[in-house]
Amino acid sequence: MLLQQLVNGLTLGAVYTLVALGFSLVMGVLGVLNLAVAELFMLGGYVGLSLILADYPVAVAIAGAALVTAVLGVVVEKVAYQPLRNAPPIAPLLSTLGFSVIFQTAATNIWGSDPLLMPPDLLDARYRVGSVSVGQAQLLVMATAVVLVAALALLMRHTRFGYGLRAIAENRDVARLLGVPAPLVTSGAFALSGALAGVAGVQIGLHYSAITPYVGVEVGLKAIAVMVVGGTTNIWGVLLAGPLLGVLEVMTVALGGAAFRDMTVYGLMILTLLVRPQGLLGRAGGAQRV
Amino acid sequence: MTVSRRVLLATPALLLARRGHAQARFAGLEVKLGAIVPSSGPFAEWGRTNTVALRMVEEQINAAGGVGGARLSIAIYDDAARPAQAANLVRKLADDDKVLAIAGPLTSSACEVAFPVANQARLVACSQASSKPGTAAANRPWAFRNTIDESVLMKAALPWFKANYNADSVVIIYDAKDANSVALGSRIMPDMLKENGIRLLNEGALATFNTGDIDVSAQVTALKALNPAGVVLAADYSQAVTVLREMRRQGFVKPVIGGTPLISSAILRAAPEIPVVSSATYYAGQQGDKVRRFTETLQPRLRATAGLPPTIEPSMYDAHMVEIVGMYTDAVLRAGITLKPEDLAADREKLRAHLATLSGYEGLSGPIHFAETGDAVKNFFVVVGQNGQWGEKLRGCSTHGSLTC
Repeated sequence: MLLQQLVNGLTLGAVYTLVALGFSLVMGVLGVLNLAVAELFMLGGYVGLSLILADYPVAVAIAGAALVTAVLGVVVEKVAYQPLRNAPPIAPLLSTLGFSVIFQTAATNIWGSDPLLMPPDLLDARYRVGSVSVGQAQLLVMATAVVLVAALALLMRHTRFGYGLRAIAENRDVARLLGVPAPLVTSGAFALSGALAGVAGVQIGLHYSAITPYVGVEVGLKAIAVMVVGGTTNIWGVLLAGPLLGVLEVMTVALGGAAFRDMTVYGLMILTLLVRPQGLLGRAGGAQRV
Repeated sequence: MTVSRRVLLATPALLLARRGHAQARFAGLEVKLGAIVPSSGPFAEWGRTNTVALRMVEEQINAAGGVGGARLSIAIYDDAARPAQAANLVRKLADDDKVLAIAGPLTSSACEVAFPVANQARLVACSQASSKPGTAAANRPWAFRNTIDESVLMKAALPWFKANYNADSVVIIYDAKDANSVALGSRIMPDMLKENGIRLLNEGALATFNTGDIDVSAQVTALKALNPAGVVLAADYSQAVTVLREMRRQGFVKPVIGGTPLISSAILRAAPEIPVVSSATYYAGQQGDKVRRFTETLQPRLRATAGLPPTIEPSMYDAHMVEIVGMYTDAVLRAGITLKPEDLAADREKLRAHLATLSGYEGLSGPIHFAETGDAVKNFFVVVGQNGQWGEKLRGCSTHGSLTC
């Protein structure tokens, strides 16, 4: 049973990693905690599952969800971030929180509050290795988390977009003087963050075979904890912290009960902030990003 | 507006309205009722269908001439299933809207906070869904529930479950953040399992999850390892879906038994091969002329309402809402109520007294009375959901003392 719980934990960790990527990109580079990411993740799940229920292939559903949430990510940037860029940090935080409430309400009005259920037999295959059973959807979630983290790290390291983002992260004004199209790159960061959240939403909808308008809050808060524990200045940090928190959470539930689950997860987050505020893989001061 | 005879005969309330129309003694007056439903938040589906059901009854009664000639007006407010909001709304309905009585709130958690306020305001509040044991009894004499205590229902359902699924051992999993689920999962069921000779394999370590959790894999893996013959699942349907899907995903296909909040078409779609045993006082697909007319009248309205799924069916709580309005309008006609603003306090007391001694009121599934606990005495059914439909297996009455169906 312990090995099975480990697989459960790694899968949950992969879920958190996927959502944390969306937070981490904007937070790590622009220093903004975009709380709307949690609800973009939820909306991505709804768009993707709606497309699947309309008989579109899973790949089309993922692409469609990513496109919709990328556009919404830019809307959040234009309305909730850009006008408040020079305001105290609390201002964009609150305005993105406002967006998250709007997104949740919109989803409830469009899809209702009942869980949107997937056909039960989609990605239903299971593979047995000894006493451990792993589902097709679980494998997909874990693989997607690894691939997306690697792809994002490569994007940040080896593309002009990545150079631009890192330059803006260091000093926006200097970056502009050096020819970085800051507004465009910033919009790109929000779009990419939204797209990542959207992909995560579809993956999670596939894994749990259901999505509700309230899933964003629960998973979003855990994803923020993952981002903090992993370190906001290193994309790879979420790949380490996600599974760590996932396994910690599952083992806490299995051995101590669900009542202690959040205590351990958020306890670890607080401990990290106290002992190593830059996170497991972050650098003190955050000078080197990604 | 044209109202067909079929529609006019759809509800008990309408029958009363027709009687009232003949009398027309309240012409020019208004029957003001209040309703508290969760139109947003986790139980929004129930709240929204409740709203449609209430508007349907209001429209039909007024189209048929009102309540003894008085126009029926229902002020519907959203408590988002938040107890504090429900309590505030009771105060608002009592003082600002000056309603005769309230239908709602829906959840036991909300009722536990709102009923004391109703008691203080000397205003009848009758819940359409709360079934946590003792919630109305703790707030007499103004609190009522048109529902049956979960423990009463389980006394009938559990022996049937044991006999039909050879369920000599079970595990319990419940939603630790829902008052009704906590009562059923942690208090009612452990004792009742013992009484029925069913072993509880996770005694002392009952599995829990929290409202809103999407991952219950750890709990289900742990429960599966105990290899029970059945599962007790205490949660409302929107949370239970998560557990059922996880059970299916892990190949843990065992019969499930739970309380009335499991009754939903979403449960049928979650894991069609897992039999789910529950109890209901109404379910879509129930046979009988009156109940079939109710279903056929309400269902198209629900499906045409924006924000509700196109496959939605009326819920048990919609039926309860319609019955509550019917009982209130019945009281207006039979309890000496004047509907004059200056008599509001006296009218509220007359309505309360009428409900407390209610006799001969015909609900959708048979006669309804109220026990001194404030809970309804009415017919119920033990049902099994499997392969996409609910099937009736057993019929009973929540007999209380000399009160019976």
